[in-house]
Amino acid sequence: MVEDKESPPSQQTPSEAEKKPAPPVVPPARPQTSAAPAAPPPRPVIPPPRPPAPVQAPPPAPPKATGRRTFLKALVAIGAALSITPFIPWGNFLLSSVTSSGAYKRQQAQADNIPANGAGAGKVINVNDLTTFPPNGSWLVTYPSSGDNALDSQNPDTFLKFKVIRLPTELGGSDKDAASFVAYSEVCVHLWCSPGYDPQKSTNPAYETYQCPCHGSIYQLPTKDPQTGGLVDAGKAIAGPASLQAFPTNAIPMLTLTADPNGDLYIEPPVFDVEHNGVIGYGRDYASYQNYILPVAQGKQEP
Amino acid sequence: MSQQPKERKNVVVRLYDWIKDGLERTVYMGVQYTYPKRFVSPLGYLGVLTGIVFLVLGVTGGLLMIYYQPTLSGCGSLTCAFASIERINNTVPFGWLLRNIHYTASNAMVLLAILHMYYQYFSGRFKIKNEVLWVTGVILGIITGVEAFSGYDLLFNQRAGLAIEIGSSLANASPLVGGTLRLATFGAGFTDFVLRLYAAHVFILPMVMLILVFIHFPRYLVFDLPVISTVVGGLFLVAAIFPVAVGVGYSPSNPQLTIPEWYLTGIYALLRTEFDKFVMGGLMPALLFLMAIVVPFVDTSKKLNWKDRPFFTALGITTIAQILITTAWGFYINPDTNLPTLSRLFVDPSLYFSSMLGVTVLSFMLTYAFLRYLKAKERVRRAAAPMSPLLTKKWVFIIFLMLIGAQLALNFFAWTAALTNLNAMTLFDVGAILVTFGVIAHLYRYSQSLPF
Repeated sequence: MVEDKESPPSQQTPSEAEKKPAPPVVPPARPQTSAAPAAPPPRPVIPPPRPPAPVQAPPPAPPKATGRRTFLKALVAIGAALSITPFIPWGNFLLSSVTSSGAYKRQQAQADNIPANGAGAGKVINVNDLTTFPPNGSWLVTYPSSGDNALDSQNPDTFLKFKVIRLPTELGGSDKDAASFVAYSEVCVHLWCSPGYDPQKSTNPAYETYQCPCHGSIYQLPTKDPQTGGLVDAGKAIAGPASLQAFPTNAIPMLTLTADPNGDLYIEPPVFDVEHNGVIGYGRDYASYQNYILPVAQGKQEP
Repeated sequence: MSQQPKERKNVVVRLYDWIKDGLERTVYMGVQYTYPKRFVSPLGYLGVLTGIVFLVLGVTGGLLMIYYQPTLSGCGSLTCAFASIERINNTVPFGWLLRNIHYTASNAMVLLAILHMYYQYFSGRFKIKNEVLWVTGVILGIITGVEAFSGYDLLFNQRAGLAIEIGSSLANASPLVGGTLRLATFGAGFTDFVLRLYAAHVFILPMVMLILVFIHFPRYLVFDLPVISTVVGGLFLVAAIFPVAVGVGYSPSNPQLTIPEWYLTGIYALLRTEFDKFVMGGLMPALLFLMAIVVPFVDTSKKLNWKDRPFFTALGITTIAQILITTAWGFYINPDTNLPTLSRLFVDPSLYFSSMLGVTVLSFMLTYAFLRYLKAKERVRRAAAPMSPLLTKKWVFIIFLMLIGAQLALNFFAWTAALTNLNAMTLFDVGAILVTFGVIAHLYRYSQSLPF
């Protein structure tokens, strides 16, 4: 490969290897400034570099002078650091999609107008309507909504999509309140595929209904706590690669749901951090369901 | 040139000289271009070729920007980004050609950058006062990879989906800052994602690359027109012979098993060993890059030749072997469709890591053995026989005329092919024209050394 610029085998003296070869017809793509800086490149346009200042006979009080100079340099450095510091929070510019206030409002949970939503397509989910929205059913909703259901239904961004699931009857799905619903993110925390709800698998005790098509991660419905009898651990991954991920990236983010006196289901403004509704595509502390989302749905806690 | 006032110059030459004198003060003249008088091995200036391909990418990419829509919704179809690529591919005149050139050039740039790095490594040019050039080169190589990655994500097809998922989950998996890092780089969803990658791909990363290139360029550059024309033409030929399909649009609820681009299958294989994502996908590649950055400060001997640096030669061979193995593994998916997806994708870590270890030992042993063999073999240096010119003046003219005729014919073919929408044919002909021009330019250079 490098045969062309090779000189005959000369391993005897290392100095010979250091010697610059005779200037070839073509200068190499990258000049080998190996040892001898004897011949400066023929560049008449640029004046030759100024010779370094002679350093013999140091001035009488060098430590003080250099000390002062170092101090001044340090002051400049501190000034520079202070000038840069206020820009650090400006990094929030990049996080605007999740942190900007006003982006998230209380909103009716209106099912997308798509065939997969069946009889509920395009309708506002109502907790009293057990025929259109029966237990063990699921409906895709868009949050935050653009205000136009037709546009929302066309929007393919799964980060705006949530599956509102009415729990099976034995988990209280036929209760006419917001606590009989959960709203799971449509973004698997493993690799961002979209899980689907399979009502066939809603059998005790696992409720392996929310399954991702890519690598088979399964998120559970809330389960009954054997001690208290309350519902706990909604959205925790119990199988597949998502379940192997480190806490808190092993549970699907959820929305907080409430119902108004008419029974219309509402989505409360979510707090997209790990302790509350989770970070979409990242994860959630699965205890946030019993600590935050469920109490709000039951009206025991302010959203 | 300007010191010979007696010589009569026409207005074109004078204008050229005037412009050249004016450029003398600019940054462009800080670099000295060399036009070799005879053919020299392109291995020495692979970096220049990488830069030329970068220019090709800039031109085609700028044109593709005119029709690409970095959005997901609002244009009537499900994903605007994918739909606009389909439109460029199927409807826009010459869109197919530009997209294929852009795609092939991106692959060529990654490949040329890798070859360039290894040539510099084995020839020892990265050492001794070239450390800054080398380190900026490694950084440029990483950015080239990110640039290529962000580019094929913009298609929003199934393959892009896989890359998006892997990239985002890698960012997510970083300890402590994971979630924030992902939000800052990829945004809070696919809509953000397309726009951010678009901004990075078309502006931020190329700008960073341009700034780094000014540090990376040595003062002497070989600008070999015949080879450059041939390489660009060859690029067109490859793009014409192996056109790339747009693929199937990304749908997160209906995924297909795909494989990333060849320069990313290595990371894909590492992730599929199902160890910690961050360690396998982040730290392992980072280890390779860190090694590359550190190597000029470790290999400080004055010896440049690869034969005199057995350890570092063996190290380089090892990295090549390991990258090849990892890459090959990334392409492998268990063909048994009865198995669940996850076990089809699973890469057995014991098999994988033992092969990595084995290839390391093997590389070192073979390299040392080969170098010992070379040393033992006394090389007889043959005196170079004086070259007699291959062609006479008459034949130079004849071949010139034939090549020009070929170019004329190819131009005609390219024109008719474009009229009848034979995209691959057009691209092939244009590539052939450029290659022919490369030959013409080389023949001209060759004829300068002939005694006539």
